[in-house]
Parts: sequence; C-alpha cells; structure tokens
Amino acid sequence: MKKLLLALAAIALAGSLMAQGAKMPENISLKTVDGQTVQSSVIQNDGRPVIISFWATWCKPCNRELNNIKEVYEEWQEETGVKLVAISIDDARSAARVKPHVDGNDWPYEVYLDQNSDLKRALGVVNVPHTFILNGEGEIVWQHTGYQDGGEDEVIEQVRQLLK
Amino acid sequence: MKRLKITIPLLLCLLSATVHAQGILGGHVTGNVQADAQLCRADSVIGAEAVEEIMRMNARADILYTNGDFSAGLRFEMYQNPLLGFDPRYKGQGLANYFVAYNTKRLSVTAGNFYEQFGSGMILRTYEDRYLGLDNSLLGLNLTFRPWDGVTLKALAGKQRYFWDYGEGLVRGIDGEVNFNSIIKSMQDSKFRATVGAGFVSKYQPDETITLLDDPEYKLVLPKNVGAASVRADLGYGGWSLQAEYARKGQDPWTYNDYIYREGEAIMLNLGYSQRGFSAGIQAKRIDNMGFKSMRGVSGEMLFINYLPAITKNHTYAFLAMYPYATQVNGEQGLQGDVMWKIKKGTLLGGKYGTDLHINSSVVTGLVTDSIGGRGTEGYTVKGGVGDLYYGDVSIEVSRKLSKSVKAALTYAYQVFNPKVENEIGPLHHNNIVIADVSWKVNKKHSLRFETEWLGSDSHYDASEPAPDMRAGDWLMGLVEWNIGTHWFVTASDQYAYRDGVGNYPSVNVGYTHGATRLQLGYGKQRKGIICIGGVCRPVPASNGLTFSLTTSF
Repeated sequence: MKKLLLALAAIALAGSLMAQGAKMPENISLKTVDGQTVQSSVIQNDGRPVIISFWATWCKPCNRELNNIKEVYEEWQEETGVKLVAISIDDARSAARVKPHVDGNDWPYEVYLDQNSDLKRALGVVNVPHTFILNGEGEIVWQHTGYQDGGEDEVIEQVRQLLK
Repeated sequence: MKRLKITIPLLLCLLSATVHAQGILGGHVTGNVQADAQLCRADSVIGAEAVEEIMRMNARADILYTNGDFSAGLRFEMYQNPLLGFDPRYKGQGLANYFVAYNTKRLSVTAGNFYEQFGSGMILRTYEDRYLGLDNSLLGLNLTFRPWDGVTLKALAGKQRYFWDYGEGLVRGIDGEVNFNSIIKSMQDSKFRATVGAGFVSKYQPDETITLLDDPEYKLVLPKNVGAASVRADLGYGGWSLQAEYARKGQDPWTYNDYIYREGEAIMLNLGYSQRGFSAGIQAKRIDNMGFKSMRGVSGEMLFINYLPAITKNHTYAFLAMYPYATQVNGEQGLQGDVMWKIKKGTLLGGKYGTDLHINSSVVTGLVTDSIGGRGTEGYTVKGGVGDLYYGDVSIEVSRKLSKSVKAALTYAYQVFNPKVENEIGPLHHNNIVIADVSWKVNKKHSLRFETEWLGSDSHYDASEPAPDMRAGDWLMGLVEWNIGTHWFVTASDQYAYRDGVGNYPSVNVGYTHGATRLQLGYGKQRKGIICIGGVCRPVPASNGLTFSLTTSF
C-alpha cells in the first residue's frame, strides 16, 4: 500500500516536472458542430494565447463558467487577443444537443465535439469543467479543474502574465 | 504474473522510443492520478453495512507519453477493496490498460487497448466510465485512415476487457464516413451540409452448450459469428439539422433476450433548429432486441459492444435524478423534445439582465409484441402501436440574474416512472419536483450557493417488502455551498424523507483545488440508489462514513 502511494506520488511528480511545455496534440480527430471531422491542429490562434475549456451540455458548473466568460469575452479579446475554444465531451446521448445548446446560449466561442473522449484522454482530463491555457507556441502553460464563480478572473490573469 | 509479462516489453518499447527520438527527456508526459477512499460505518436505519476491511479504495493513474507523432500509454488501477457499488470482481491491482499509437494527419494506428466509436455507437462504442466502474475497451489493433480531407476509414479488431481479463469474444469492425462539404469544392461554403457513413461489426465466439429450459436434451445451435451493420446521415441547412441512423443485427441469442433468434433493429432520428438565443430539437428512437455483447452468457454492464443511451435528458439535480431512466435494450420507443430560449434583456419577460428558459420533455414506452415462443424460437413479433409506459417527464427551468451579484434558477418537473425499468414490479410512480437554486457572489473572494429541492411522490415506503424502495415517499433537501476564492469550498446538505418514507442523509464536504489538483473530504450518509451516467446506471448501496477523494492532472 505504502509502496503504491509512493509510486503514484513519484509518477505525479515526474509528470509535473516533465509536463512543462507539453504541447497540444495535433492529430486527434474532433468534429465541428456541423459534423465535419477536423484534426486538433485547428486549435490555434496565430501565435496568441488560447483558452481550452472542456465542458458538457449537462454540466452545470461548465455552463456557469462559459456563460460568465461570455459577459467579459469581448473585453478579453480586445485586451489580449485570446481565443476560447470549447471542447464538448457529450456522448451519443446528448451530442446532437451541442449545436442547439451553443446557439441557444449565444456563445461566441469556437466549439468542437470530442465524442470519443480522445482529446480528453490525451490531455489527462478527469472531470469537467477543465480549463487549459496554451501560449502562442501551443504549449500548455496552465490548467485548472472545476469552476467557482469568479474563476474566470484567474484565467485572464494567467493570460495577461503570458503577454508580459 | 500475466500482467507483469506485458509490462516488460512495453517498458522496453517506451524506453527505446524515448531514446531513439530525442534522448531520455524528449517528448513529454501527461496524465492523471485519482484516488477515492471510504471509511464505512454501519447504519441500520438506511441499511448501510460496515465492511471488514474498514477502508475501501479505488485508485488509478493514467500515464501518457507523447513524442511527436508517437505516443504510448499505461493505466494502473487498484481496487483494495472496490468502493461500495463497484463489482467485487475488480478486486486487485495492476496494469489495466496499455497502448502504443502513431498519429499523423492521414493515418492513426493504435496497438493495445483502445476506445473507438462508429457513428453514434449503435453498433460499436468502446468506452470507459470510471465512476460506473465500466471499461469495455478493446485490446487489439485500431486503424484510421484519412486519404483525403473529409473521408475517414476505420478498421479494428480485438477482445474486450472483462474486469482483470478479456472476454473470449473477438470483435472486428470497419467503418467509413464522407463529408461532402470537404470533398466537393463547390460545397465548401454551402449552407447545405452533408455527412454520410456506414459501419459493420462482427463478433466471433466459440460454441457453447445452451439447452432448452424444458428439454435439457435439446441443445441450441448458436451462431458463432454475429454481424451488425448501420447506416447514418448528418444533414444541415442553415440553422436546421437532421441526424439519422439505422442499425440492424443478425440472429444473436444471448442471456438478455433469453436466447431467442429474432434479428435486432434500432433507429434514431434527431431534428433540430437553432439560431442565436433560441433552439429547439426533437429526437425519436426505437430499439428492438439490439443489445450486443461480445459474450452471450454475460449479464450486467460489461462486454457491451454497442452503446444505446437513454433518450431522456441527463438530469443533474439530485431529486430529478432520483428515479433515473435506463435504456431497455430488448425493446423500447421514445420521443424527446427540448426548447431553449434566451429572452432578451430589457423586455417584459427578460427583465434587466435577460432570462433563460429551458423546457424539456420525454416519453418512453415498450413495444407491442406477440409472443411466438421462448428460448430457441424467434421470440416475438412486433405490432405497431404504443406499449406500456416506461417513463415520462416534463421539466421547465427558468433562470435569471436578479442583480449584479445574485442569480437564481427555478425548476419544476413532473415524472412518471415505471418500476419495470429496474426489473421491479409495482404501480407507476408519479413525482412532482421543485428546485430553487440561488447563487450569490458576496464579494470578490466569497460566493454562496443555496439549493432547495422538494420531491412529492405517490410511492410509499413498505417495510414488509423484502427490498423496500429507499426512495419512496416525499422528500426535502437543502444544500449550502460556500466558495472561498477559487481554491476552497465547503458544502453542507441534508436529504430528508418527511412523509411516507424513511431516511435522513446529512453530509458535509470540504474541497481544495489548486490548478489541476483537487482534494475532497466528506462525511455523511449516502442513500441507496442508482448512479447513472450517459443512460448507463449502476446501483450504489447505502453508506455512512468518511470519504476522501483526490484527482490531479499533469
């Protein structure tokens, strides 16, 4: 038991040490809300930072996060040029609801479906919401799990740090 | 020992790849670690039992190594002993999952454990859900070839995970999908969107001895190879979208359909319309004998090759999910409708900040059938029409920002639930549910959330039954959540059966989040019930005690 926990801790430590500069995977298949298959390399912002937010239609905190960011998104974009890409992990049960959900909520984000959880697995996401920030080179520089009201302030603060 | 044997070549493979590519520190490692533990105490009122081990724990670590187009992954799992509600056959620890993969724009190859899905999963979807204790990954080879933009071809073969082993059934499949907007130049900017696809899956399982129930001398001639095929289309025009999929399965006598030889069939239609601030959708589904497993004798949720999610909405509030619907793979038909409307601010209904309205309704019934015999026959024929009501609900959610710092959501739902869905006999349950959810951002650092739920049901708790329904009766629930900054949260909640039922389930939780690490400590009681994710459900026994959970991603 002790050995096991030690091993887990060692793995986590090694992982966190090596994860610095982990790149966003490029060749993972995603779908657009219109049913077109694209590769994950589409997630980029011409050398500027990208926020990736994993969410699901049924996830209340995810919806709170994306709705709250919507209110400040224009300001964020003007100030930092950042782009938010929302990755839905809805499976066959609710995948058809993703486009109506995004339109119904009037979200201004780029949205992709990860129905088979390929990108979710590749990035080690356990639960939604889970937010990543990529720098201009597509490297993961920050990540956060869960959402609490006001959490978006920390996200934009991290983006600002990148631009300093 | 078996598990150890595979580790060594895999580690060598990993190592050589690292050294070969960019030296030891080339590439990078990502993954996650999760541990959940329970310290259980007995509680005779809610039916919770103490366990001999005192502590139960599930833990796992996913480690993924990526170097350019190459990646390799390992998953370690431990269940000592499995958390309450998980299958005891998970007991143990070791490497549960491993793969190497090569991914380029045109080609993806995975050898080892993989997860794949054809279309919506009606004939094939291997997936895992760690909270349901469900992993039906295939161990084998998976190829995806994208010869041109807009064309995807897939081929796979493998055996499915079965706890710490693999089922003997061999699964093989091919699938193709074409997106016309990508391959036809003139359609690239068209308002009309079209994707079509088709797939075929075949499973092989050696013969075994299954006899007629009333004549043990009479042995069934079982098909060793069973095929299933599906065709699908995903069409769109402007704000309109239509998805359709039809699947058919050959003769597949197995334990769930009691070894009948009827062919399986499933159809799903989905029509939606959306524009900025408004969307509406309707979904129809019919399933007839479409349960598809890689081993015919295995009941439970393991070894399913296909995925037939429930058509009903996935509710997340506690009382809305108290009587959850689970897909009846042997036969059901249903409709679901959904409307979302963002009422603009400054209007009469919209108020100062705008109002969100969400209406959802679903109804699922059985098929009307005529029996033509039992085991060894074609089983039944289907007549048109509407069979027994299995489930029906309607819910209305109104949410609105009341001031700069206060948001409120009010939900009303009405449900009809047939105990048959959970293989129980009894009258239909009718439930009324009201939920108020208010969040208040007190200042920059502190926020509070209050949730009150009420459930009124016509079911009664009956102690004389062998397994009384612990959900019966009328319930009240209160929850307070206090968020401190973005790191800490504290919640306290209680669910209490105040009429015609028994049970009082108080619990407190404290959580700490830092980056992608989350720690949570809880103390309290959990109701015996059913956890459902994606329409797949698993029973959870009552428990009382301390829980601990850790997740971290890196």
